[in-house]
Amino acid sequence: MSDNRDEKLDEILRSRRLEPAGPDLAQRIILKAQAIPQNKTMPLWQWIRQVCTEFHLPKPAYVLASALIFGVVIGFSTLPDINPATDDNVQSFLSADEALL
Amino acid sequence: MATAWPEKDDHELLALIQDGNGQAFATLVERHTERFYRLAYRYLQSKAGAEDVVQDAFVKLWENPAIWQLERNSKFTTWFYRVVVNLCLDSQKRKRPVALDEEISLVDDREPVDETMMRIQEQKALEKAIAALPERQRTALNLCFDEGMSNQEAAVVMGVKLKALQSLIMRAKTTLKERMKAYL
Repeated sequence: MSDNRDEKLDEILRSRRLEPAGPDLAQRIILKAQAIPQNKTMPLWQWIRQVCTEFHLPKPAYVLASALIFGVVIGFSTLPDINPATDDNVQSFLSADEALL
Repeated sequence: MATAWPEKDDHELLALIQDGNGQAFATLVERHTERFYRLAYRYLQSKAGAEDVVQDAFVKLWENPAIWQLERNSKFTTWFYRVVVNLCLDSQKRKRPVALDEEISLVDDREPVDETMMRIQEQKALEKAIAALPERQRTALNLCFDEGMSNQEAAVVMGVKLKALQSLIMRAKTTLKERMKAYL
């Protein structure tokens, strides 16, 4: 009984009514597109995705590249030593060195 | 734009469209309009609405060809199915039909006049019952029964696992069987 209902439902589902599209639908779409200029600028994120897709990089390569970029950024953002050795410091260091000898 | 290159596959045509080639666009449109119209019609149950959605989808592709990204294991049609389904859902949200009240019986109790009348009633009841299904169940049903996709293909289009798709179809059919019991 249940099998019959399943089959009947499948049959009804496969024979659903469809109003056909206008015969010139494709032509109308083409004509409409013809009147519209193409926008060729690509958003930055999409450009990056495209580059990644183009090169087919494996995932470890992304991790390595990210780590390198992160390291460079950290390296550049760390302030350099702004307290250069004064003459006194140098002299005391040299004398300490001589004392050892 | 005269059509050309019927022998070129979709991906070749899309590469040409990205270079601004109108003939490639015309070929792609003529190749796929009917199929995507059918899908849109199932959602909207309106010829004009379905034609508008298909037109919008193709025009958007022409306007911004960069929206198509060639990704591994991705077919143009699989991606474009998603585009069309999303546009249909947007269109439905914009002009939401009166929600089907669960209390309203989908079955007309009157005796059918003849076989044709019975068939018309059956179709109307079916369309109402399908329209009342949750969105994902409806999409699964449309892709598998109307587009003749395999469960695996439909799962890819919907971005779900095969088991999840099978479950959606099973739930949809259970609900339909209940709502259509007068006709089964």
